[in-house]
Amino acid sequence: MRLFLLALLIISPFSHSEELSAKDWLVNMSQALSETQFKASVVQIQADHVRPLVFLQGTVDEKRIAYLEYLNGPPKNAVKVNNTVTFLEHDQPPYSVNANLIQGVWPVSLYGDISKLEQGYQFVLGGRSRIAGRAGQLIRFIAKDEYRYDAQIWLDLETYLPLRYDTLNRDKQLLEQTMVIELIEFTDSPSILVEASKHDWPEVIKQADRKDAQDWQFTWLPQGFSMVVSDNHRLIGIHEPVEYIALTDGLANISVYVARAPEAPMPEELVTRNGLSMVVEKVGNAEVVALGKVPSQTLERIARSLALK
Amino acid sequence: MVKSSQEWVSAAVDGEVDAQTLTQLASDVDSHQEWQRYHMIGDTMRGELPAAIDLDITASIAAAIELEPTIMAPKNSPAIEVQGVESKTPKTSNVVSLFKQFGQYAIAASVALVAIVGVQSYDQSQDVESPLPVFNTRPLVGTMSPVSLQTGPVTNQQGYTNEQVLEQRKRINAYIQDHMLQQRLNPGVQVEQANQAEINQ
Repeated sequence: MRLFLLALLIISPFSHSEELSAKDWLVNMSQALSETQFKASVVQIQADHVRPLVFLQGTVDEKRIAYLEYLNGPPKNAVKVNNTVTFLEHDQPPYSVNANLIQGVWPVSLYGDISKLEQGYQFVLGGRSRIAGRAGQLIRFIAKDEYRYDAQIWLDLETYLPLRYDTLNRDKQLLEQTMVIELIEFTDSPSILVEASKHDWPEVIKQADRKDAQDWQFTWLPQGFSMVVSDNHRLIGIHEPVEYIALTDGLANISVYVARAPEAPMPEELVTRNGLSMVVEKVGNAEVVALGKVPSQTLERIARSLALK
Repeated sequence: MVKSSQEWVSAAVDGEVDAQTLTQLASDVDSHQEWQRYHMIGDTMRGELPAAIDLDITASIAAAIELEPTIMAPKNSPAIEVQGVESKTPKTSNVVSLFKQFGQYAIAASVALVAIVGVQSYDQSQDVESPLPVFNTRPLVGTMSPVSLQTGPVTNQQGYTNEQVLEQRKRINAYIQDHMLQQRLNPGVQVEQANQAEINQ
Protein backbone atom coordinates (compact mmCIF):
# COMPACT_ATOMS: atom_id res chain seq x y z
CA MET A 1 0.00 0.00 0.00
CA ARG A 2 2.75 2.38 0.95
CA LEU A 3 4.65 1.55 -2.19
CA PHE A 4 1.57 2.17 -4.24
CA LEU A 5 1.09 5.60 -2.71
CA LEU A 6 4.72 6.39 -3.27
CA ALA A 7 4.43 5.36 -6.89
CA LEU A 8 1.34 7.51 -7.23
CA LEU A 9 3.20 10.45 -5.75
CA ILE A 10 6.00 10.08 -8.24
CA ILE A 11 3.78 9.60 -11.22
CA SER A 12 1.17 12.20 -10.44
CA PRO A 13 3.24 15.35 -11.07
CA PHE A 14 4.17 14.09 -14.50
CA SER A 15 0.75 12.96 -15.55
CA HIS A 16 -0.67 16.09 -14.02
CA SER A 17 1.61 18.50 -15.83
CA GLU A 18 0.65 16.99 -19.16
CA GLU A 19 -2.88 18.20 -18.76
CA LEU A 20 -2.08 21.70 -17.59
CA SER A 21 -3.26 24.54 -19.73
CA ALA A 22 -1.10 27.58 -20.30
CA LYS A 23 -3.07 29.47 -17.72
CA ASP A 24 -2.74 26.66 -15.16
CA TRP A 25 0.98 26.89 -15.58
CA LEU A 26 0.94 30.61 -14.94
CA VAL A 27 -1.32 30.28 -11.93
CA ASN A 28 1.01 27.66 -10.50
CA MET A 29 3.89 29.99 -11.20
CA SER A 30 2.38 32.92 -9.36
CA GLN A 31 1.73 30.67 -6.40
CA ALA A 32 5.26 29.31 -6.51
CA LEU A 33 6.66 32.82 -6.66
CA SER A 34 4.91 33.76 -3.47
CA GLU A 35 5.44 30.54 -1.53
CA THR A 36 8.62 28.80 -2.61
CA GLN A 37 11.88 29.47 -0.82
CA PHE A 38 14.61 29.70 -3.39
CA LYS A 39 17.76 31.35 -4.58
CA ALA A 40 18.11 32.28 -8.23
CA SER A 41 21.18 33.57 -10.02
CA VAL A 42 19.97 35.60 -12.95
CA VAL A 43 21.34 37.54 -15.91
CA GLN A 44 19.43 40.36 -17.53
CA ILE A 45 20.20 41.24 -21.11
CA GLN A 46 19.17 44.48 -22.78
CA ALA A 47 20.57 45.28 -26.19
CA ASP A 48 24.32 45.01 -25.55
CA HIS A 49 23.98 45.25 -21.80
CA VAL A 50 24.30 42.27 -19.45
CA ARG A 51 23.61 42.50 -15.73
CA PRO A 52 24.09 39.61 -13.34
CA LEU A 53 22.07 39.52 -10.15
CA VAL A 54 21.11 37.16 -7.40
CA PHE A 55 17.67 36.89 -5.86
CA LEU A 56 16.68 35.06 -2.69
CA GLN A 57 13.37 34.68 -1.01
CA GLY A 58 12.25 32.76 2.00
CA THR A 59 10.28 32.82 5.23
CA VAL A 60 11.93 33.65 8.54
CA ASP A 61 9.77 33.71 11.69
CA GLU A 62 6.63 33.98 9.59
CA LYS A 63 8.06 37.01 7.82
CA ARG A 64 8.40 36.94 4.07
CA ILE A 65 11.93 38.04 3.29
CA ALA A 66 13.41 38.68 -0.12
CA TYR A 67 16.82 39.91 -1.11
CA LEU A 68 18.08 41.20 -4.42
CA GLU A 69 21.68 42.05 -5.20
CA TYR A 70 23.28 43.32 -8.40
CA LEU A 71 26.64 41.67 -8.75
CA ASN A 72 28.46 44.02 -11.11
CA GLY A 73 29.41 47.64 -10.57
CA PRO A 74 28.72 49.68 -7.46
CA PRO A 75 26.73 47.74 -4.86
CA LYS A 76 22.97 47.95 -5.22
CA ASN A 77 20.71 45.83 -3.10
CA ALA A 78 17.11 45.67 -2.11
CA VAL A 79 15.62 43.91 0.87
CA LYS A 80 11.98 43.12 1.41
CA VAL A 81 10.54 42.33 4.82
CA ASN A 82 6.84 41.61 4.59
CA ASN A 83 5.43 44.66 2.82
CA THR A 84 8.37 47.02 3.10
CA VAL A 85 11.09 47.19 0.51
CA THR A 86 14.35 48.93 1.41
CA PHE A 87 16.74 50.03 -1.29
CA LEU A 88 20.44 50.08 -0.40
CA GLU A 89 22.56 51.93 -2.88
CA HIS A 90 26.10 53.17 -2.66
CA ASP A 91 25.40 56.81 -3.43
CA GLN A 92 22.47 57.57 -1.17
CA PRO A 93 21.13 56.69 2.26
CA PRO A 94 18.86 53.65 2.33
CA TYR A 95 15.16 54.31 2.00
CA SER A 96 12.07 52.17 2.28
CA VAL A 97 8.83 52.08 0.39
CA ASN A 98 5.66 50.15 0.80
CA ALA A 99 5.62 47.30 -1.67
CA ASN A 100 4.81 43.65 -1.55
CA LEU A 101 7.67 42.61 -3.80
CA ILE A 102 11.04 43.73 -5.08
CA GLN A 103 10.81 44.91 -8.63
CA GLY A 104 13.43 44.36 -11.20
CA VAL A 105 13.57 40.62 -11.71
CA TRP A 106 10.24 39.37 -13.04
CA PRO A 107 7.30 41.53 -14.11
CA VAL A 108 5.28 42.34 -11.03
CA SER A 109 2.06 41.02 -12.48
CA LEU A 110 3.46 37.49 -12.55
CA TYR A 111 3.23 37.49 -8.76
CA GLY A 112 -0.39 38.47 -8.84
CA ASP A 113 -3.66 37.52 -10.40
CA ILE A 114 -2.89 36.05 -13.79
CA SER A 115 -6.39 36.43 -15.13
CA LYS A 116 -5.87 40.19 -15.24
CA LEU A 117 -3.39 39.65 -18.04
CA GLU A 118 -5.93 37.81 -20.14
CA GLN A 119 -7.56 41.02 -21.32
CA GLY A 120 -4.50 42.02 -23.26
CA TYR A 121 -2.68 38.79 -23.90
CA GLN A 122 -3.45 35.30 -25.03
CA PHE A 123 -1.56 32.53 -23.24
CA VAL A 124 -0.22 29.88 -25.57
CA LEU A 125 1.55 26.73 -24.50
CA GLY A 126 4.84 26.24 -26.33
CA GLY A 127 7.53 23.59 -26.38
CA ARG A 128 9.95 22.52 -23.74
CA SER A 129 13.62 23.31 -23.51
CA ARG A 130 16.43 23.09 -21.03
CA ILE A 131 17.35 26.22 -19.10
CA ALA A 132 19.74 26.46 -16.15
CA GLY A 133 20.05 22.70 -16.22
CA ARG A 134 16.32 22.27 -15.72
CA ALA A 135 13.47 21.35 -17.99
CA GLY A 136 11.45 24.42 -18.88
CA GLN A 137 7.95 24.81 -20.30
CA LEU A 138 7.42 27.73 -22.67
CA ILE A 139 4.32 29.87 -22.36
CA ARG A 140 3.83 32.72 -24.78
CA PHE A 141 2.02 35.93 -24.02
CA ILE A 142 0.64 36.83 -27.42
CA ALA A 143 -0.57 40.41 -27.55
CA LYS A 144 -4.18 40.52 -28.61
CA ASP A 145 -3.64 43.75 -30.55
CA GLU A 146 -0.79 45.74 -32.02
CA TYR A 147 -0.72 48.16 -29.10
CA ARG A 148 1.69 46.17 -26.93
CA TYR A 149 4.68 43.88 -27.17
CA ASP A 150 4.70 40.11 -26.96
CA ALA A 151 6.44 38.23 -24.20
CA GLN A 152 7.36 34.66 -23.45
CA ILE A 153 8.24 32.82 -20.30
CA TRP A 154 9.80 29.46 -19.50
CA LEU A 155 8.71 27.78 -16.27
CA ASP A 156 10.53 25.11 -14.35
CA LEU A 157 8.72 21.80 -14.66
CA GLU A 158 9.42 20.92 -11.04
CA THR A 159 8.84 24.13 -9.14
CA TYR A 160 6.87 26.24 -11.64
CA LEU A 161 9.30 29.07 -10.99
CA PRO A 162 10.21 31.24 -13.97
CA LEU A 163 13.46 30.33 -15.67
CA ARG A 164 13.49 32.85 -18.47
CA TYR A 165 11.43 35.82 -19.54
CA ASP A 166 11.71 37.57 -22.90
CA THR A 167 10.09 40.71 -24.21
CA LEU A 168 9.78 40.88 -27.99
CA ASN A 169 8.93 43.84 -30.16
CA ARG A 170 6.35 43.76 -32.93
CA ASP A 171 8.92 42.32 -35.32
CA LYS A 172 9.59 39.49 -32.84
CA GLN A 173 13.01 40.86 -32.06
CA LEU A 174 14.29 40.45 -28.54
CA LEU A 175 14.11 43.62 -26.46
CA GLU A 176 14.94 42.27 -23.05
CA GLN A 177 15.75 38.93 -21.55
CA THR A 178 15.88 37.79 -17.96
CA MET A 179 17.35 34.35 -17.57
CA VAL A 180 18.03 32.17 -14.55
CA ILE A 181 21.39 30.45 -14.68
CA GLU A 182 21.09 28.64 -11.37
CA LEU A 183 18.04 27.87 -9.30
CA ILE A 184 18.28 26.38 -5.81
CA GLU A 185 15.38 25.58 -3.55
CA PHE A 186 15.96 25.53 0.17
CA THR A 187 13.99 24.65 3.28
CA ASP A 188 16.12 26.49 5.84
CA SER A 189 16.59 30.15 5.07
CA PRO A 190 20.17 31.17 4.44
CA SER A 191 21.83 33.43 7.00
CA ILE A 192 21.48 36.55 4.85
CA LEU A 193 17.68 36.31 4.98
CA VAL A 194 17.75 35.65 8.73
CA GLU A 195 19.94 38.70 9.18
CA ALA A 196 17.65 40.79 7.02
CA SER A 197 14.68 39.79 9.14
CA LYS A 198 16.38 41.01 12.31
CA HIS A 199 17.86 44.20 10.95
CA ASP A 200 16.16 47.54 11.62
CA TRP A 201 15.37 49.06 8.26
CA PRO A 202 14.53 52.74 7.80
CA GLU A 203 10.94 53.90 8.08
CA VAL A 204 8.85 54.05 4.98
CA ILE A 205 9.35 57.47 3.40
CA LYS A 206 6.48 59.88 3.38
CA GLN A 207 5.57 61.43 0.12
CA ALA A 208 4.06 64.57 1.48
CA ASP A 209 4.21 66.59 -1.68
CA ARG A 210 1.84 64.35 -3.54
CA LYS A 211 -1.37 66.14 -4.37
CA ASP A 212 -4.46 64.91 -6.03
CA ALA A 213 -4.48 65.16 -9.75
CA GLN A 214 -7.19 66.72 -11.82
CA ASP A 215 -9.97 64.54 -13.08
CA TRP A 216 -8.23 63.08 -16.06
CA GLN A 217 -9.76 60.47 -18.24
CA PHE A 218 -8.93 58.75 -21.49
CA THR A 219 -11.31 58.64 -24.39
CA TRP A 220 -9.44 55.61 -25.64
CA LEU A 221 -7.18 53.02 -24.04
CA PRO A 222 -5.98 49.69 -25.41
CA GLN A 223 -7.96 46.73 -24.09
CA GLY A 224 -6.75 45.71 -20.65
CA PHE A 225 -5.04 48.96 -19.73
CA SER A 226 -6.39 50.77 -16.71
CA MET A 227 -5.48 53.75 -14.60
CA VAL A 228 -3.75 52.70 -11.39
CA VAL A 229 -2.38 55.97 -10.02
CA SER A 230 -2.96 59.61 -10.69
CA ASP A 231 -1.43 62.44 -8.73
CA ASN A 232 0.45 65.70 -8.94
CA HIS A 233 4.09 65.66 -7.98
CA ARG A 234 7.38 67.25 -8.91
CA LEU A 235 9.59 65.62 -11.48
CA ILE A 236 12.79 64.23 -10.10
CA GLY A 237 15.80 66.28 -11.10
CA ILE A 238 14.09 69.30 -12.61
CA HIS A 239 11.47 69.80 -9.85
CA GLU A 240 8.76 70.77 -12.21
CA PRO A 241 5.23 70.05 -11.06
CA VAL A 242 3.51 67.51 -13.29
CA GLU A 243 0.20 65.77 -13.43
CA TYR A 244 0.95 62.08 -13.40
CA ILE A 245 -1.13 59.12 -14.48
CA ALA A 246 0.03 55.51 -14.39
CA LEU A 247 -1.52 52.93 -16.69
CA THR A 248 -0.86 49.22 -16.82
CA ASP A 249 -2.13 46.11 -18.53
CA GLY A 250 -0.16 43.87 -16.20
CA LEU A 251 3.03 43.51 -18.21
CA ALA A 252 3.53 46.98 -19.67
CA ASN A 253 3.58 50.11 -17.53
CA ILE A 254 2.82 53.46 -19.10
CA SER A 255 3.31 56.83 -17.47
CA VAL A 256 1.46 59.87 -18.78
CA TYR A 257 2.58 63.33 -17.70
CA VAL A 258 1.02 66.71 -18.24
CA ALA A 259 3.33 69.66 -17.73
CA ARG A 260 3.87 73.19 -18.92
CA ALA A 261 5.63 73.11 -22.24
CA PRO A 262 9.28 74.08 -21.91
CA GLU A 263 10.92 76.80 -23.97
CA ALA A 264 13.25 74.36 -25.66
CA PRO A 265 11.18 72.21 -27.99
CA MET A 266 10.96 68.51 -27.21
CA PRO A 267 11.34 65.64 -29.67
CA GLU A 268 8.02 64.26 -30.77
CA GLU A 269 9.09 60.68 -30.48
CA LEU A 270 11.96 58.76 -29.01
CA VAL A 271 12.76 55.07 -28.71
CA THR A 272 15.45 53.44 -26.60
CA ARG A 273 16.97 50.15 -27.52
CA ASN A 274 15.40 48.27 -24.65
CA GLY A 275 11.96 49.07 -26.00
CA LEU A 276 11.09 52.09 -23.88
CA SER A 277 9.34 54.66 -26.04
CA MET A 278 8.45 58.24 -25.34
CA VAL A 279 6.01 60.47 -27.15
CA VAL A 280 5.50 64.18 -26.62
CA GLU A 281 2.28 65.91 -27.69
CA LYS A 282 2.02 69.66 -27.50
CA VAL A 283 -1.38 70.97 -26.56
CA GLY A 284 -1.43 74.75 -26.39
CA ASN A 285 1.19 75.76 -23.86
CA ALA A 286 1.13 72.36 -22.19
CA GLU A 287 2.84 69.15 -23.14
CA VAL A 288 1.55 65.63 -22.72
CA VAL A 289 4.34 63.09 -22.36
CA ALA A 290 3.62 59.37 -22.52
CA LEU A 291 6.28 56.76 -21.99
CA GLY A 292 6.45 53.04 -21.48
CA LYS A 293 7.56 49.79 -23.04
CA VAL A 294 4.95 49.69 -25.77
CA PRO A 295 5.04 50.68 -29.44
CA SER A 296 5.24 54.44 -29.84
CA GLN A 297 2.00 54.50 -31.85
CA THR A 298 0.20 53.29 -28.75
CA LEU A 299 1.69 56.11 -26.70
CA GLU A 300 0.79 58.63 -29.35
CA ARG A 301 -2.81 57.54 -29.37
CA ILE A 302 -3.00 57.44 -25.58
CA ALA A 303 -1.50 60.92 -25.32
CA ARG A 304 -4.06 62.24 -27.77
CA SER A 305 -7.01 60.68 -26.01
CA LEU A 306 -6.28 62.32 -22.67
CA ALA A 307 -9.06 64.65 -21.61
CA LEU A 308 -10.42 66.42 -18.54
CA LYS A 309 -13.67 65.10 -17.26
CA MET B 1 108.05 23.24 -50.13
CA VAL B 2 104.43 22.39 -49.80
CA LYS B 3 104.89 21.36 -46.23
CA SER B 4 106.91 24.44 -45.38
CA SER B 5 104.40 26.79 -47.03
CA GLN B 6 101.72 25.13 -44.96
CA GLU B 7 103.73 25.88 -41.86
CA TRP B 8 104.06 29.49 -42.98
CA VAL B 9 100.39 29.83 -43.43
CA SER B 10 99.77 28.23 -40.06
CA ALA B 11 102.25 30.59 -38.46
CA ALA B 12 100.65 33.55 -40.26
CA VAL B 13 97.22 32.59 -38.96
CA ASP B 14 98.59 32.49 -35.44
CA GLY B 15 100.17 35.90 -36.04
CA GLU B 16 103.70 34.60 -35.72
CA VAL B 17 105.14 35.92 -38.99
CA ASP B 18 106.52 39.27 -39.94
CA ALA B 19 105.09 41.60 -42.55
CA GLN B 20 107.45 40.48 -45.25
CA THR B 21 106.36 36.86 -45.05
CA LEU B 22 102.76 38.02 -44.98
CA THR B 23 103.04 39.95 -48.25
CA GLN B 24 104.77 36.94 -49.72
CA LEU B 25 101.91 34.76 -48.63
CA ALA B 26 99.37 37.23 -49.94
CA SER B 27 100.81 37.03 -53.39
CA ASP B 28 100.69 33.21 -53.24
CA VAL B 29 97.18 32.37 -54.47
CA ASP B 30 97.44 28.69 -53.53
CA SER B 31 98.04 29.56 -49.92
CA HIS B 32 94.78 31.56 -49.74
CA GLN B 33 92.72 28.41 -49.41
CA GLU B 34 95.09 27.13 -46.78
CA TRP B 35 94.67 30.43 -44.91
CA GLN B 36 90.90 30.13 -44.99
CA ARG B 37 91.00 26.51 -43.85
CA TYR B 38 93.33 27.27 -40.94
CA HIS B 39 91.10 30.07 -39.76
CA MET B 40 88.14 27.72 -39.98
CA ILE B 41 89.97 25.10 -37.91
CA GLY B 42 90.91 27.73 -35.37
CA ASP B 43 87.32 28.97 -35.16
CA THR B 44 86.02 25.44 -34.73
CA MET B 45 88.43 24.71 -31.93
CA ARG B 46 87.49 27.93 -30.13
CA GLY B 47 83.82 27.11 -30.67
CA GLU B 48 83.19 30.29 -32.65
CA LEU B 49 81.70 28.59 -35.63
CA PRO B 50 78.52 30.26 -36.95
CA ALA B 51 75.35 28.18 -37.27
CA ALA B 52 75.57 28.16 -41.06
CA ILE B 53 78.98 28.08 -42.51
CA ASP B 54 79.30 30.07 -45.67
CA LEU B 55 82.65 29.01 -46.94
CA ASP B 56 82.71 31.44 -49.80
CA ILE B 57 81.73 34.75 -48.26
CA THR B 58 83.98 36.75 -50.53
CA ALA B 59 82.18 35.41 -53.57
CA SER B 60 78.71 36.21 -52.24
CA ILE B 61 79.75 39.69 -51.20
CA ALA B 62 81.24 40.28 -54.63
CA ALA B 63 77.97 39.09 -56.20
CA ALA B 64 75.95 41.37 -53.93
CA ILE B 65 78.10 44.38 -54.76
CA GLU B 66 77.73 43.63 -58.41
CA LEU B 67 73.95 43.39 -58.14
CA GLU B 68 73.41 46.46 -55.98
CA PRO B 69 73.83 49.39 -58.34
CA THR B 70 71.90 47.68 -61.12
CA ILE B 71 68.89 47.22 -58.84
CA MET B 72 68.92 50.61 -57.21
CA ALA B 73 69.50 53.01 -60.01
CA PRO B 74 66.86 52.13 -62.63
CA LYS B 75 64.03 51.22 -60.25
CA ASN B 76 64.10 54.43 -58.33
CA SER B 77 62.23 56.79 -60.64
CA PRO B 78 59.44 54.41 -61.78
CA ALA B 79 58.69 53.68 -58.13
CA ILE B 80 57.97 57.32 -57.47
CA GLU B 81 55.69 57.52 -60.47
CA VAL B 82 53.70 54.51 -59.28
CA GLN B 83 53.41 56.02 -55.83
CA GLY B 84 52.17 59.23 -57.30
CA VAL B 85 49.37 57.45 -59.15
CA GLU B 86 48.37 55.30 -56.25
CA SER B 87 48.46 57.96 -53.60
CA LYS B 88 45.41 59.64 -55.05
CA THR B 89 42.97 56.93 -54.08
CA PRO B 90 44.03 56.50 -50.48
CA LYS B 91 43.91 60.22 -49.99
CA THR B 92 40.28 60.51 -51.01
CA SER B 93 39.34 57.60 -48.79
CA ASN B 94 41.16 59.33 -45.98
CA VAL B 95 38.86 62.27 -46.36
CA VAL B 96 35.79 60.08 -46.28
CA SER B 97 36.86 58.20 -43.20
CA LEU B 98 37.68 61.48 -41.52
CA PHE B 99 34.11 62.57 -42.04
CA LYS B 100 32.84 59.25 -40.82
CA GLN B 101 34.93 59.52 -37.74
CA PHE B 102 33.62 62.96 -37.17
CA GLY B 103 30.10 61.65 -37.28
CA GLN B 104 30.93 58.91 -34.86
CA TYR B 105 32.44 61.36 -32.45
CA ALA B 106 29.33 63.44 -32.69
CA ILE B 107 27.18 60.44 -31.87
CA ALA B 108 29.47 59.38 -29.05
CA ALA B 109 29.44 62.89 -27.71
CA SER B 110 25.68 63.01 -27.75
CA VAL B 111 25.48 59.71 -25.90
CA ALA B 112 27.97 60.99 -23.36
CA LEU B 113 25.83 64.04 -23.01
CA VAL B 114 22.84 61.94 -22.06
CA ALA B 115 24.91 60.16 -19.47
CA ILE B 116 26.26 63.39 -18.05
CA VAL B 117 22.86 64.96 -17.87
CA GLY B 118 21.65 61.90 -16.04
CA VAL B 119 24.33 62.33 -13.44
CA GLN B 120 23.69 66.01 -13.12
CA SER B 121 20.08 65.49 -12.42
CA TYR B 122 20.91 63.25 -9.49
CA ASP B 123 23.09 65.91 -8.02
CA GLN B 124 20.51 68.58 -8.39
CA SER B 125 17.83 66.57 -6.75
CA GLN B 126 19.71 66.81 -3.51
CA ASP B 127 18.68 70.36 -2.75
CA VAL B 128 16.00 71.28 -0.30
CA GLU B 129 13.31 71.71 -2.87
CA SER B 130 13.61 68.08 -3.78
CA PRO B 131 10.36 66.28 -3.13
CA LEU B 132 12.11 63.07 -2.10
CA PRO B 133 15.51 61.83 -1.14
CA VAL B 134 17.76 61.20 -4.07
CA PHE B 135 16.69 58.18 -5.97
CA ASN B 136 18.82 56.38 -8.37
CA THR B 137 16.04 54.50 -10.00
CA ARG B 138 17.87 53.23 -12.98
CA PRO B 139 19.55 50.10 -11.73
CA LEU B 140 16.68 48.32 -10.08
CA VAL B 141 13.92 48.83 -12.56
CA GLY B 142 16.06 48.61 -15.68
CA THR B 143 19.08 50.26 -17.20
CA MET B 144 18.86 52.82 -19.90
CA SER B 145 20.72 51.82 -22.94
CA PRO B 146 21.86 54.85 -24.90
CA VAL B 147 18.89 56.64 -26.27
CA SER B 148 18.57 56.11 -29.96
CA LEU B 149 16.72 58.94 -31.52
CA GLN B 150 14.48 57.86 -34.30
CA THR B 151 12.69 61.02 -35.20
CA GLY B 152 12.24 64.42 -33.74
CA PRO B 153 14.45 67.41 -33.38
CA VAL B 154 16.88 66.02 -30.85
CA THR B 155 19.28 65.16 -33.64
CA ASN B 156 20.08 68.82 -33.99
CA GLN B 157 19.10 68.84 -37.65
CA GLN B 158 16.96 71.87 -37.21
CA GLY B 159 19.72 74.05 -35.93
CA TYR B 160 19.03 74.04 -32.23
CA THR B 161 21.64 75.53 -30.03
CA ASN B 162 23.66 73.28 -27.79
CA GLU B 163 21.88 74.65 -24.79
CA GLN B 164 18.50 73.77 -26.16
CA VAL B 165 19.61 70.24 -26.93
CA LEU B 166 21.07 69.97 -23.45
CA GLU B 167 17.86 71.23 -21.93
CA GLN B 168 15.92 68.72 -23.99
CA ARG B 169 18.02 65.81 -22.85
CA LYS B 170 17.78 66.88 -19.26
CA ARG B 171 14.03 66.93 -19.54
CA ILE B 172 13.85 63.59 -21.29
CA ASN B 173 16.04 62.08 -18.60
CA ALA B 174 13.84 63.54 -15.90
CA TYR B 175 10.77 61.96 -17.44
CA ILE B 176 12.39 58.57 -17.90
CA GLN B 177 13.73 58.53 -14.37
CA ASP B 178 10.45 59.62 -12.92
CA HIS B 179 8.63 56.95 -14.90
CA MET B 180 10.82 54.30 -13.27
CA LEU B 181 10.78 55.87 -9.87
CA GLN B 182 7.00 55.96 -9.80
CA GLN B 183 6.85 52.25 -10.40
CA ARG B 184 8.95 51.82 -7.31
CA LEU B 185 7.16 54.30 -5.10
CA ASN B 186 3.58 53.60 -5.91
CA PRO B 187 2.32 50.29 -4.71
CA GLY B 188 -0.68 51.09 -6.85
CA VAL B 189 1.33 50.68 -10.03
CA GLN B 190 2.01 47.14 -9.04
CA VAL B 191 -0.70 44.64 -9.49
CA GLU B 192 -1.86 43.54 -6.07
CA GLN B 193 -1.18 40.05 -4.95
CA ALA B 194 -4.03 37.81 -5.88
CA ASN B 195 -5.79 36.22 -2.96
CA GLN B 196 -4.67 32.71 -2.38
CA ALA B 197 -8.14 31.23 -2.63
CA GLU B 198 -8.36 32.30 -6.21
CA ILE B 199 -4.99 30.84 -7.04
CA ASN B 200 -5.72 27.56 -5.39
CA GLN B 201 -8.77 26.92 -7.46
